[in-house]
Amino acid sequence: MRLILALVRKEFIQLYRDPRLVGFIIVMPIILTTLFGFALKLEPDNVKMAYVDDDPSYFSNLIKTNIWNEGYFKLYPVDDVAAIRNEIRLGNARAGLHIPKKFTADLTDNEQPAVTLFIDGTMPSLATAMDNNSSVITDDTVTADMYFSDPDEPAVVIAQDPFTLDVETLFNPDKVETWFFLPGVVGILIMQVALILTSTTVVRERESNTLEQLLVTPMSKTQFILGKIIPYIVISLIDFYAILIFSWLVFDLPSPNSHAGLFMLAVTYLAALIAMGLAISTISQTQQQAIFISIFVLIPSILLSGFIFPIEAMPSYIQPVAYLIPFTFFVDIIRGILLKGNLLNELLPQYLALCGFSIAFTVFSIMRFRKTLA
Amino acid sequence: MNISTRNLSRRFGDFVAVDKLDLSIEAGEIFGLLGPNAAGKSTSIRMLTGILRPDSGDASILGFDLFEQTEIIKQHIGYVAQQFSLYPDLTVFENIVFYAGLYGVDDRDRLEALMTLYDLDQFRDRRAEFLSGGFKRRLAIACATTHEPELVFLDEPTAGIDPVTRKELWDLFYDLASQGKTLFVTTHYMEEAERCHRLAFLNHGKLVAQGTPAAIRDAIEPNQVYSCEIGHDPELTRALLATSGIQLLNQLGDELRIIVEPSVSSDSLQQLISEHHQQDFRLLPVKPSIEDAFMSLTSDGEHG
Repeated sequence: MRLILALVRKEFIQLYRDPRLVGFIIVMPIILTTLFGFALKLEPDNVKMAYVDDDPSYFSNLIKTNIWNEGYFKLYPVDDVAAIRNEIRLGNARAGLHIPKKFTADLTDNEQPAVTLFIDGTMPSLATAMDNNSSVITDDTVTADMYFSDPDEPAVVIAQDPFTLDVETLFNPDKVETWFFLPGVVGILIMQVALILTSTTVVRERESNTLEQLLVTPMSKTQFILGKIIPYIVISLIDFYAILIFSWLVFDLPSPNSHAGLFMLAVTYLAALIAMGLAISTISQTQQQAIFISIFVLIPSILLSGFIFPIEAMPSYIQPVAYLIPFTFFVDIIRGILLKGNLLNELLPQYLALCGFSIAFTVFSIMRFRKTLA
Repeated sequence: MNISTRNLSRRFGDFVAVDKLDLSIEAGEIFGLLGPNAAGKSTSIRMLTGILRPDSGDASILGFDLFEQTEIIKQHIGYVAQQFSLYPDLTVFENIVFYAGLYGVDDRDRLEALMTLYDLDQFRDRRAEFLSGGFKRRLAIACATTHEPELVFLDEPTAGIDPVTRKELWDLFYDLASQGKTLFVTTHYMEEAERCHRLAFLNHGKLVAQGTPAAIRDAIEPNQVYSCEIGHDPELTRALLATSGIQLLNQLGDELRIIVEPSVSSDSLQQLISEHHQQDFRLLPVKPSIEDAFMSLTSDGEHG
């Protein structure tokens, strides 16, 4: 027991002597708990909804006003049904609403017109949540004024609902969870590999004294950083495709509509991750610290990216954090390519964001890396 | 002049590692920088190789300014760090090819010649981590000289190496010097000091002597060093150290070497010892060694 105690004491002393480690153990989890506590909800509000009102009237306004008042969907008008589909395909809207022509006429004639709700099915949890909230369109506040009895036969009580709601789930209509989650999981796995590999690469040279030997060579900082980035991009590219091909074979994932788009995604996403890993490596003193930082980057990346928890469900002041995460854009792009059939140019902002991360983190690493010791 | 520095200083927080260092080193010589641990040897070498920025002072390396032309200097110098700083998981030849690549050298014949010169052919495909200490140093020197630098810095190249291997390494150093290269070597082995063409002594970051081994030995006058076959007598040692005029005692087995101020005469020393030591003894004036000079110069006047 005494012997164990000696070891226990020594471990405590060593932990205490590494102030950064103490920070990682106590401060980081508290920060993340706070962030996740506020950010993570499955129930979104302000879900963007494109609508077409082909029969602007008192009755269509009843529907729209109730949607507005409930606050769950945020309505904005578009030209026609094709535009609704396109808005959802581009990710500008998560849902759509179509109020058909002759809506008022059919109502008054008791023809039971159908209003169509379009739902983006690429994110199953969100699609289900929207489905559950669709009652806002058909609830009693809306329909109360819509019952018409024939003045000639006032006794007849209309038992049927004044109008029906057709729900059309776009892209991944069966809400197959694998289809949404698997491509994201590929992104997470490759993020883990790339971050851990690269975040230790500079600091390992420091720990094994080889960095000192490299510093006396005429190699420039830029050459050093690029020489570190390139091999890891190649390795993780191979890894990425290996995992993806495996998923196609085993889980029957839909094929991408654009192989060029997929390749570009792989290159820009991996470049961003590796540059980020390298940036972590240049600010770490030990490999242990580098791995700690990587994990603390990894977890919020998964949770705040909109991969599981919709970004729409986060409070608006936390939402910008999601756009500081490369994985957010990866999820957007891969979903677009595999499920929505997005074209390369439609995803351009996301690609550019990933390029931006690569450049920013590379420049940071080069600036941060010193060709001198201490 | 290959290296010339003036007032070169570097501090770490409150600790002054190197204090106003003035060095001058000629082309083609083996220059030894000696000093106890933490005297500032590695800090000096790291400043001169451009990987540690001096706080103040001037330095010119191979005619280039250390502050302005650091990256040019790096193309002309080689550096063998104190700790093993090669890739343990690369083979001997892969390490050489890698470092040659960093200097833009792709002359395979030259690399093969280096392998032969440093007797590394036999271990060509062995991982560097499995080499013995001596061959690790050979490999490190080979890696640091693929680009034929005019000036090679070696930080404690023989630390922890057995005497036979140490001699072999020094033979290599002489070979390099005879090719016209300048070698800057740090060490704390006294017998190695004698092997250098010129020396500098560093103590607490300050330069305390600079010159040829002979000149440094001569800094101590012949009548300052005495030897006495007396064994170890703790009481005598205490008494001597308490006496003013006694600079330093150095016990070498049964021999006690005593370094005194020039003002202390042989007779008075004889007298002093007999007061505290009952047995017979013979006190002999001896020729100062480098070690005497080193001990004397680094004793900081602690005893007088």
